[in-house]
Amino acid sequence: MKHENKKILYIVIAILVIFGVLYGLYSYAGQEAFIRTTLSGLTLGSLFFLVAAGLTLIFGLMDVLNFAHGSMFMLGAYAGWQFYTNPTFIFGVLPLVLAFVAGIMVIPLIKPELVRLKLSDSWQKRLPKLLYLAGLIVGVLAVLKFDIAGLAETAMVAIVTTSTGALAELSPQEPLLRFMWRPVLLFISGALVAAGVSKPGDRAEITAPEPLKNRLVLPIILLVLTILFTFVRESASELVLLMNGNLRFALAVIVATLFGFLLGALIEITMIRPLYIRPFFIVLMTLGLSFVLRELVQVLWDPLAYQMVRPPLFAQPGRASTIAEWLANGSSTISIAGVTFPTYRLFVILLGVVMFIFVTLLMTKSRLGMIIRAGVQDPQMVEALGINVKRVFTIVFALGVALAALGGIGAAPFLPVQPMMGDQYQMQGFITVVIGGMGSYVGAFAGAMILGMARAFGDYFALKLQLSPTIAEASTVIIMIIVLLLRPQGLFGKKD
Amino acid sequence: MKNIWKKDKGFVIFVALAFAFPFIFSLLGQTSLTEGTNKFWQGQLINFFIMAVFAMSYDLLIGYAGMLSFGHAASFGGGAYTVALLLEHVAPDILKSYQIFIGSTNITEIVILIVCFLAAILVSILIGLLFSASAMRVKGAYFAMLTLALATALNLLARATDFVEWTGADEGMHGVPVPLWINPTQNRLTFYFIALAFLVLAYILMKRIVSSPTGRVIQATRENEDRARMIGYNPVTYRTLAFVIASVFAGLAGGFYALWTTSASPSMTSGVTTVNVLIMTILGGMGTLVGPLLGAGIMQIFSQFLYTWFGARWPLVFGIIFVLIVMFLPYGIVGTWRLQGFKIKQGWQRLLELTKTKETPEK
Repeated sequence: MKHENKKILYIVIAILVIFGVLYGLYSYAGQEAFIRTTLSGLTLGSLFFLVAAGLTLIFGLMDVLNFAHGSMFMLGAYAGWQFYTNPTFIFGVLPLVLAFVAGIMVIPLIKPELVRLKLSDSWQKRLPKLLYLAGLIVGVLAVLKFDIAGLAETAMVAIVTTSTGALAELSPQEPLLRFMWRPVLLFISGALVAAGVSKPGDRAEITAPEPLKNRLVLPIILLVLTILFTFVRESASELVLLMNGNLRFALAVIVATLFGFLLGALIEITMIRPLYIRPFFIVLMTLGLSFVLRELVQVLWDPLAYQMVRPPLFAQPGRASTIAEWLANGSSTISIAGVTFPTYRLFVILLGVVMFIFVTLLMTKSRLGMIIRAGVQDPQMVEALGINVKRVFTIVFALGVALAALGGIGAAPFLPVQPMMGDQYQMQGFITVVIGGMGSYVGAFAGAMILGMARAFGDYFALKLQLSPTIAEASTVIIMIIVLLLRPQGLFGKKD
Repeated sequence: MKNIWKKDKGFVIFVALAFAFPFIFSLLGQTSLTEGTNKFWQGQLINFFIMAVFAMSYDLLIGYAGMLSFGHAASFGGGAYTVALLLEHVAPDILKSYQIFIGSTNITEIVILIVCFLAAILVSILIGLLFSASAMRVKGAYFAMLTLALATALNLLARATDFVEWTGADEGMHGVPVPLWINPTQNRLTFYFIALAFLVLAYILMKRIVSSPTGRVIQATRENEDRARMIGYNPVTYRTLAFVIASVFAGLAGGFYALWTTSASPSMTSGVTTVNVLIMTILGGMGTLVGPLLGAGIMQIFSQFLYTWFGARWPLVFGIIFVLIVMFLPYGIVGTWRLQGFKIKQGWQRLLELTKTKETPEK
């Protein structure tokens, strides 16, 4: 049989199987239970997709298995929750992070000169490590005696915003005169670390010649932002808290995503890039990182579970019968074909689908997506064609982490926000990636939906047949093993 | 014996010290052999011995066979659960009906304990085969994820409420009736020496396996699978073998751990256990047997002191140390020492030569 015909045959069989299974479940469970379970499955599937999309892109492009992805999911939830309930912490720390990133971004400016430095072999080996260590030491000095725990505690003071805008008292930030030198030191620290990573004196390094103007844009923007946020630390958080709840939530989603993007870029540049020559250690690195991040969160916010308040659009008790009614009243549940379903979960489904469309457009229509697809095929060739693959690596890693963080903030209003919240999603993300095929975002979407459905219907059957909910959790592993035995490269994966 | 002394001076000295430790401690501190701080430190060392075997078995996998498995806790927990289940649910019935004594020793209890460990070996072989059968076809990241998923499945099984009468579900089993003569609370000194003997035996056996022709082939498949196949060795067979051997040692360590804690809980099969043992192995140095031993020791000591210094959040400090080690000392302590030791020796020699050349012009 011809290749094309075979493909069509497979697709037809797959569609028939899917419809057969769905019809079987429908006739078994009855309409109401079927719709409710399907919707819960889609909610879970959306979250799985947000985690798995990043994992699969990162793996496909740079062969990095990111074990810290679950932690990123969790951090996204924490960042969004912080911003939504009390942004004092975020605005207190933001100048520091921005200063560090700005410091890192300054180095590409002088990289051609750095690479051309004349250094003896032994210094070439020693200098990066020394610079890196110096950067770390300066970084530690910069945050010495910084009352980060005090800042973190502000979120635990629940803040009630009423319609009149009455606020709980805002915690004061550190006085500007003392705070000022911290961003400066962190800027230096970032520059030192980045200088260490950029291999000074190594002439084999490729530096893409770019006009100075283009190279200057990013560091200058970051520097301006740093200075700006250093001055508005208190007023900004007040401004945010006075906002309308829905707007604040929308901003929180954006902030969490951007935070994920920044964090991803930071991690890739400072910690993963030096290890590309030893791929085995990248896995260990990310594993250690997830360990550290999880503990760090527990240090800052205690090992407790927090419940984020749902934004007003999803909070009013009552059932809406149409979408227009929901949008007008902000009801917490909506009736879909006679089934009562929480509106917030509908929003999560929407988030997942929109992100899938976004990723699809990005990958198929944009230049970056083209480079990523080419990079998945053959990174060396792409580099040989004069594309700065390192930067693409950074962007993809940051993008993946941003998606995970988006999933985290999406999940925060209906899952308890706690340090271990990402672990389960990371596990399911791995399984999704294996089912869908590494490097394929379509596979990640299909796999995520299959897993979400399996979990939801597993829970349904466990309840109905009085089994333990373990069945639902185990079903995903069983599906993965079946897929691997039938198609080791995954549903949408390409054969090696 | 002579051979071991030549090759492993450090290990022999370590064993001698560990053997003498309770006696020296009681002499120095004027404390009794079986009570107080002496008993406490014996407990710490017992934990260390067991974890060291677990870490060494993990190193067989990742260091020698080059398979990054994230499911090693499955074997450990499998062994622990086997021993605990048999002791809790089967042993009392047998002991009720048969009791054979020779002199004052209860033969039945000893036989039951041996059977428990044989069962643990059997279970861990089965787990190893199951993992290999499903994961051996894939490599690298797929392998890591698959083993992780399989171990998660086992963890789910341990936590399942369906078997709550047997396994205690989330709670696990506690207060497993361990025979009195080996019970770590009453007869800790006996248990101490048994655990030490277990460590020594496991070390010698693993050393033997690693340096046997089979072990060499396993290392060859790590270095270059295609070449190993070209020479006529089937890499899948050898990797399966390595996996099963590692699984057996992990299962035995798990069995001992169950005896030592008189419990078996789902956390023994969880990813955290794997990560702990991974940290020990990386800390000490992959691809050596002494490395994981050292790593386990350091972790044991660190967890004690860091806990007193930093409170409940000590893993943060530990995690940072781990990240730094991965970045700056990728071969671990022992690996770096072996790499740099040569240079240090060279440096010494150069220094000696310098002093010599300074003396010669005066002649």
